[in-house]
Amino acid sequence: MPKLTIDGRESEVPEGTGVIEAARRLGIEVPHYCYHPGLSIAGQCRLCMVEIGNNPRPQIACNTQVVEGMVVRTETPKVLETRQAIMEFHLINHPLDCPVCDQAGECWLQIYYMKHGLYEPRMVDEKVHKPKAVPLGPHVILDAERCILCSRCVRFCDEITGTGELGIFQRGDHSEIGLFPGRELANPYSGNVVDICPVGALTDRDFRFAVRVWYLETAKSICPGCSRGCNIAVHSNLRRPHHDGGRRVARLKPRYHAEVNRWWICDAGRYGYKFVDDPSRVRFPTRGRGDAAAEVGWDEIVPLIAGQLRRYQPGEIGVLASPQMANEDLFLLRRLVDHLGLAHVDFRVPPSRPGDEDRILIKADKNPNRRGAELIGLGPRDGGLDARGMLRAARERRIKCLWVFHHDLLASAWPEGEIREALESLECLLFQGSNGNGVRLLAHYVLPSAAWVEREGTFTNFEGRVQRFWKAVEPLGAARADWEIVARIGEALGLSFMPDTGEDCFKALAATVPAFAGLSYRELRDTGRLVWDCAGRGPA
Amino acid sequence: MSVAGAGTAELTPEQLAEVRRLQGLYPDKRAALLPVLQLAQDACGYISLETEAYVARLFDLSPAHVHEVVTFYTLFFREPKGRHVISVCHNLTCHLLGAEDAIAHLKARLGVEVGGTTKDGRVTLLSVECLCACEMAPMMQVDDRYEGPLTPETIDRILEGLQ
Repeated sequence: MPKLTIDGRESEVPEGTGVIEAARRLGIEVPHYCYHPGLSIAGQCRLCMVEIGNNPRPQIACNTQVVEGMVVRTETPKVLETRQAIMEFHLINHPLDCPVCDQAGECWLQIYYMKHGLYEPRMVDEKVHKPKAVPLGPHVILDAERCILCSRCVRFCDEITGTGELGIFQRGDHSEIGLFPGRELANPYSGNVVDICPVGALTDRDFRFAVRVWYLETAKSICPGCSRGCNIAVHSNLRRPHHDGGRRVARLKPRYHAEVNRWWICDAGRYGYKFVDDPSRVRFPTRGRGDAAAEVGWDEIVPLIAGQLRRYQPGEIGVLASPQMANEDLFLLRRLVDHLGLAHVDFRVPPSRPGDEDRILIKADKNPNRRGAELIGLGPRDGGLDARGMLRAARERRIKCLWVFHHDLLASAWPEGEIREALESLECLLFQGSNGNGVRLLAHYVLPSAAWVEREGTFTNFEGRVQRFWKAVEPLGAARADWEIVARIGEALGLSFMPDTGEDCFKALAATVPAFAGLSYRELRDTGRLVWDCAGRGPA
Repeated sequence: MSVAGAGTAELTPEQLAEVRRLQGLYPDKRAALLPVLQLAQDACGYISLETEAYVARLFDLSPAHVHEVVTFYTLFFREPKGRHVISVCHNLTCHLLGAEDAIAHLKARLGVEVGGTTKDGRVTLLSVECLCACEMAPMMQVDDRYEGPLTPETIDRILEGLQ
């Protein structure tokens, strides 16, 4: 491994490492636009110039590989002067429309101008005009005048999705990013080009003019859109509630994870958060079916539900958990199921259509925590019925009380009429979920769940990686995390274990379920941990 | 490329053999993109979007990358051009010696603006940068030959020869 010196500090990095990456490992950020660690090297923006050894002229750090004994200097007068000149060059035709640009506040032209530019503008000529506000596809909009032609978006479409929609057309100062005429930027990962665009050329149609980025709060999270468990950041707008129609979650952004999603997320996940601020949210507990439904407080509904669960024989009760629920929820539910001695327990409901899957990130299973439900053991116990069996038994009035978590059973792969008949045959249908659906309309009792961004917890992804998500916003109305609701009902039924936090739940889970042994929130940190399955096999 | 389907690109078996020969000359066949585009333009008169997409398939490239090349170079015509192409140099030497007058005369005689093609499809008029023939300034390129120094009289004589 070659040894080199960067700004007087020694470093040893693998053969083939670029100088820019070697510097980054020492915590030295060489300014750049076109370089992206997930893409090929373009050497296009010329901003990452550094001085190397006694070479008379600065060289680009991205496309120069380290060699033994190399001496790199990133802050010499010559480097600073070069950077300033390149900033001036990049900004020659820039429209300077920051006041109406969504990128303002997270724009690398702004950041680097303040850090490395600060020159007296000399541009007196008419700027070159190019297409503005051009929708490229369902999610991305282009302002070609703001573009600095770094080609990150072009390389993303060539190298990551392999779809090749974008190119740089014309030449000289008339060069512009664009689509082959007649094509659309509609690949399932198109939103990522907005993330990697260092300037305001590509912005997000969903986020367009919604809220200024400096009003956003950030919480680390996990995408609940499929079983991949992509690491994301939830950006919420709490300081300007009058903006964007009161939408609290403003956008989701990918968060780097070397083994799960690298820098990317799919569009389905990125824009799949709308249910959080949707009018379909369940905000308060209700009792009574259909038109007779009346809002009640938790103090009223918990004893009612406990009473219902006590009223029936264990064989007359079914519990349909959901792989949308966090490990904490599922664990506490299993505690309660064990406490009541219930056998008819399941979490598997086939979707109406098979999910799409690809070789990049998207998994066919659209649930974030099927693996967790399997490991925690929410399947039928001691000859109990599975989900379909429970619904058949409900039609035959052998199951009289069913507690459904989240599932929209009427929109599953099963015949709707048959399922509706089963649900209508129940004496007591409990629905617990964050958003209303067909089951909610038929339920005798409705319990409002907090959405995943309104609470903390963990999901176990398809490969058995347990990952934490953090709370970004407060629950709507009286909604509570699923585990809290289960805990309160459990308490009313004499269950002694009453956790105060998600972390307490997870501790008890780690102490009980072998796959999770030894884990804790602290242990999971930001990157999560792979768990062992029940059979004691290695990481799945 | 069938002339009948101007715009609908399809090379003849002989032309395709030439494409393969050109691609075989380089370690990366993409290097043959320029000569193949020239071949396509010669066959069809210009490079349509359909031709770009067709050529992209011959190279396993996305059409966007062929479009990059075609829009970069001014010698690719993206619309049908006239039977003859006149390119008048308007760079320094020619400019000082009367290129603007020559262009004005051509515009008046042909009845087109620079970049335009006469209605009868006879001539396309372009203005270009230096053609490396300052000794004959002001000058222009007519199809494959250089003409200059230009006067209204020499221009009229040259135009008469173009059918």
